[in-house]
Amino acid sequence: MGLVAKARVKSPWIVHYCCSSCNGCDIEILACLTPLYDVERFGVLNIGNPKHADLLVVTGPVNKRNVRVLENIYNQMPAPKLVMAVGACACTGGVFHNCYNILGGIDKVIPVNVYVPGCAARPEAIIDGVVLALDKLSKIK
Amino acid sequence: MSGFDWSVGLAALVLAPFVGGLLRGIDRKLTARMQGRIGPPIWQQFYDFFKLIGKARAATTKGSLVWIWGYLLLTMLTVFMLFAQQDLLIIFFILAFAGACLAFGAFSVRSPYSQIGAHREIMQMLSYEPILLLAVVAIFLQTGTFKVSGIFEYGQPLLFTLPLAFVAVLIALTIKLRKSPFDISASEHAHQELVRGVYTEYSGRFLALIELTHWYELVLILAFVALFWAQPLWVGVLLALAVYFLELIVDNVEARLQWNWMLSISWAAGVGLILLNIIMIEMFFGNVLRL
Amino acid sequence: MAGDTLIAILILLPMATAAAGLAVKDQLRRPLIIIPSAVLIAASLMLLFQVLEHGPLTFTPAPAWGSVILVLELALLAYFVYLGVVRRHVLVLGLGGLQFALFCLFKFAWLPSGFKAQPALHVDLLAVVLGLVISVVGALIVIYGLNYMDNHERHLKLSATRQHIFFFFLVGFLGAMNGVVFANSLLWLFFFWEITTLCCYHLIRHDLTAEAEQSALRALWMNLFGGVALLTGMTLTYQVSGTLSLLDLTGFGPVGPVLLLPLALFCVAGFTKAAQVPFQSWLLGAMVAPTPVSALLHSATMVKAGVYLVLRLAPAYEGTYLSALLAVFGAFVFMVASLLAISQRISKRVLAYSTIASLGLVVCLAGINTGLAIAAAVALIIFHAVTKGLLFLVVGIMEQGIHSRDIEDMEGLITRLPVISGLAILGMIVMLFVPFGVLFTKWASIQAAATPFSDLYPLAVVFLALGSAAGMVFWVRWIGRLISNVSAADAPPAEPRPEPWRSVSYLVVFSLLAGAVALSALAAPLVSSLINPTVAAMGYSPALDTAGWHLATPYGFFSPWVLFIIIALALLLPVLLVRIRPEEVQPVYLCGENQPATGPTFRSIADQATPAQTGGIYWTRTFGEQSLNTWVNGAGIVLLAALIVGVIV
Repeated sequence: MGLVAKARVKSPWIVHYCCSSCNGCDIEILACLTPLYDVERFGVLNIGNPKHADLLVVTGPVNKRNVRVLENIYNQMPAPKLVMAVGACACTGGVFHNCYNILGGIDKVIPVNVYVPGCAARPEAIIDGVVLALDKLSKIK
Repeated sequence: MSGFDWSVGLAALVLAPFVGGLLRGIDRKLTARMQGRIGPPIWQQFYDFFKLIGKARAATTKGSLVWIWGYLLLTMLTVFMLFAQQDLLIIFFILAFAGACLAFGAFSVRSPYSQIGAHREIMQMLSYEPILLLAVVAIFLQTGTFKVSGIFEYGQPLLFTLPLAFVAVLIALTIKLRKSPFDISASEHAHQELVRGVYTEYSGRFLALIELTHWYELVLILAFVALFWAQPLWVGVLLALAVYFLELIVDNVEARLQWNWMLSISWAAGVGLILLNIIMIEMFFGNVLRL
Repeated sequence: MAGDTLIAILILLPMATAAAGLAVKDQLRRPLIIIPSAVLIAASLMLLFQVLEHGPLTFTPAPAWGSVILVLELALLAYFVYLGVVRRHVLVLGLGGLQFALFCLFKFAWLPSGFKAQPALHVDLLAVVLGLVISVVGALIVIYGLNYMDNHERHLKLSATRQHIFFFFLVGFLGAMNGVVFANSLLWLFFFWEITTLCCYHLIRHDLTAEAEQSALRALWMNLFGGVALLTGMTLTYQVSGTLSLLDLTGFGPVGPVLLLPLALFCVAGFTKAAQVPFQSWLLGAMVAPTPVSALLHSATMVKAGVYLVLRLAPAYEGTYLSALLAVFGAFVFMVASLLAISQRISKRVLAYSTIASLGLVVCLAGINTGLAIAAAVALIIFHAVTKGLLFLVVGIMEQGIHSRDIEDMEGLITRLPVISGLAILGMIVMLFVPFGVLFTKWASIQAAATPFSDLYPLAVVFLALGSAAGMVFWVRWIGRLISNVSAADAPPAEPRPEPWRSVSYLVVFSLLAGAVALSALAAPLVSSLINPTVAAMGYSPALDTAGWHLATPYGFFSPWVLFIIIALALLLPVLLVRIRPEEVQPVYLCGENQPATGPTFRSIADQATPAQTGGIYWTRTFGEQSLNTWVNGAGIVLLAALIVGVIV
């Protein structure tokens, strides 16, 4: 494993986008950053700017209004990049399934690498998801 | 310049990124500890750096990239000149040029976040420039020369006669190191009103270049602090590390301030303290140039 | 050619050209102005070599000239009174009348008839350096004015050209300025001094708008105030010492305390010409004039006459209270003018404040009054003239390109008018950054100010440090506005407009920039061949060592050419090597709401496409004229009062 590939696994910066979530999952994501879970020990930073990020963490289902924002943020991330859908809604549309304005899970719009189910997804599950994402990252040449 | 100066300067150019990167890593570790977290490994900055190098290239305008190279190269020049014991005034003038290059880089793309960041960056320069220049003047009043070499030839630690100037330099350093309460041009944690300010439009290897420049800047600044206790130098190094630790504490207990707070604090307290120190030199310690 | 002839050419040729310009047809104007300009440049260079080789020249014209000048002078002073009457301006009338009365009293009642200050003209190195600046930069600006005025009048749609009047005063100005710097007799100096006031007045009101009239009158009364100060100082000098020769005043080291008051008055006269606080408003008002006028007033003439006088007298007040206070005053002006410039968005006003700041620095250096300080002052006069002339000419070209002086309208000008914007950016970098000449003088001046020249030095050095940081802000922001560029992913790149970069105007700008860069890189030879001898000729010990073409003072070390090479490489290599492939270009970050359009655009309420506009921040509430002017002018007046009162006490 080359230096860059090793570094990639050690430093996943995330950008967090809330599509139309109920904010339950968002709170759990923020919980990951708190001292109890402290994902920064794995080098994870919540970077807030897609141009700097490696991992797009999306909560909530995608709707007709925010689909273009989701696409835009995804497109602005430089490769290699991964997408993680956090929570039942982001994975499949969840309780919003078949709503008049909802397109469904975010995989209807952008390719998703890791699904973290749950309503809301627990921080442990989210961290598990990140570790899985890192595993996938390490396989990117 | 002797061969020795050349070799020290070049050695500093090679070593500074390692020292700077490591110190930034320790910074993150200590910050985490202060917040009751475990924190990333101290090598984290190097992981970040190499990861950024490996990202796909993306850019907005050519100008922004060119200026960032200027930022890096000019900062490297200042590090070289400081360790090669050159004229401190010239070093800080070049540092100002380097800082302006960062602002130019942000200015050269029409993005709201980077433009506001650039404006704040020049406000930061307005705040810390006078303090650094006046600190150099205060040092000059003790050593009788603007050259770094003169500080080493000067017998006693500068801190004894320049305590207030030293405190003022600490204020300037907080701004220059982009620590709270003065991290206004580019918030360190990127979910604030400014996204990432001057860095917003950079990605991949150009962000890595900026990170590399920060390491050089950190070494330059701490080396300048160490000059306040240049004899023996190991005390100076300890002093610089202690100052860095102090900056971390301040960083962690302070919130960000507005630019006008920064300006009034740095001009009233910073410049005022140095002025007071110069008057103290005149009245108590004796100005070396009058002897 | 004999030195006398050269002096005569430098003073009389511009005046003769000006007079001839009134008579000849418009088609002949170009050759009529370009040829004498070339002669002027050549003559000033020859004079320089002559003085360098044979030492200072003295020259007293035939006595008949004295009478001619007296008649002209009386006519001139009467004309000022007449202007006061016709324009119904109380201050002009009062000051003009006072000046006229005082002059008549002095010349006919107090001065014994047949009194001559010998020699009338004395050309030493300082004078010849100033003469060189005036002739070279001034002539280039006049040549630039040819094209500019054609465009200007076309834009104004005048029925009949008024260019002959314009060039009459513009070219005549150069002769008067050469007269000011060459004069040794205070009477001659006063005569040329008043001519510059006259030329300045007519050039400012050239466009004849209400604003121009008003600004011209303000410039007139302020300069008449300076004239009164000069005249009073002259009278006092004569009463105290019985001499009217600058050589007598400056030749024998510091003067006695009784002569300090006239010297202080001379300095006040210099401050009015150099637009120092609280007289800065006339120079700001002068911006209404066509750009060649601004360029000339700011770089080669007018304001330089003010600092020249202060600098010329420096040996006379060395080590006195006056000197110490001048240093603080100059540094204060440097600081406040730089701070005020931060709030300005009209390009010419930014340049004006920066001029005032630079002149304040020269005054400060004259006050510090050591070999290093005087060397820095001379260097600053040279570098400032070249760079500021360059910047004004650039702004003039931009203004005619975009029909605005507002910096906000210059956003991204680098894509629309790349050549001239590039020149502007380079000019500003020369003005601002290491290793260029202006910064070399700043380096020297901080060193000079930090040596304890008087008990007030901490104040001066603090003002200098604050001012130089403030200078950074407005230049960097201006460059930032010029280079602000749209990402190609947001909008198709703007097509650069064709620029007539082979025209005379551009050539003048190119040559000024080349001159500034060359002089900066070769600062050391310039110092050793010109500035050090000038400083030595004024009676100071040269403090700059130029071994190996490095610049070394007893306290510091600076190598212009080495840094020049390194920094040029650090900035040029990326320009040449950095490449962006089209597929790498990204739109800017707009929180994901980007909408491809003609610029960075985001979707706002109800999906409306809203352009993401960016603008300069001017911090007007903090640094604006409204919030600062009262304090600035108040402090300026207090300092001036302290100057005069302190000298009397």
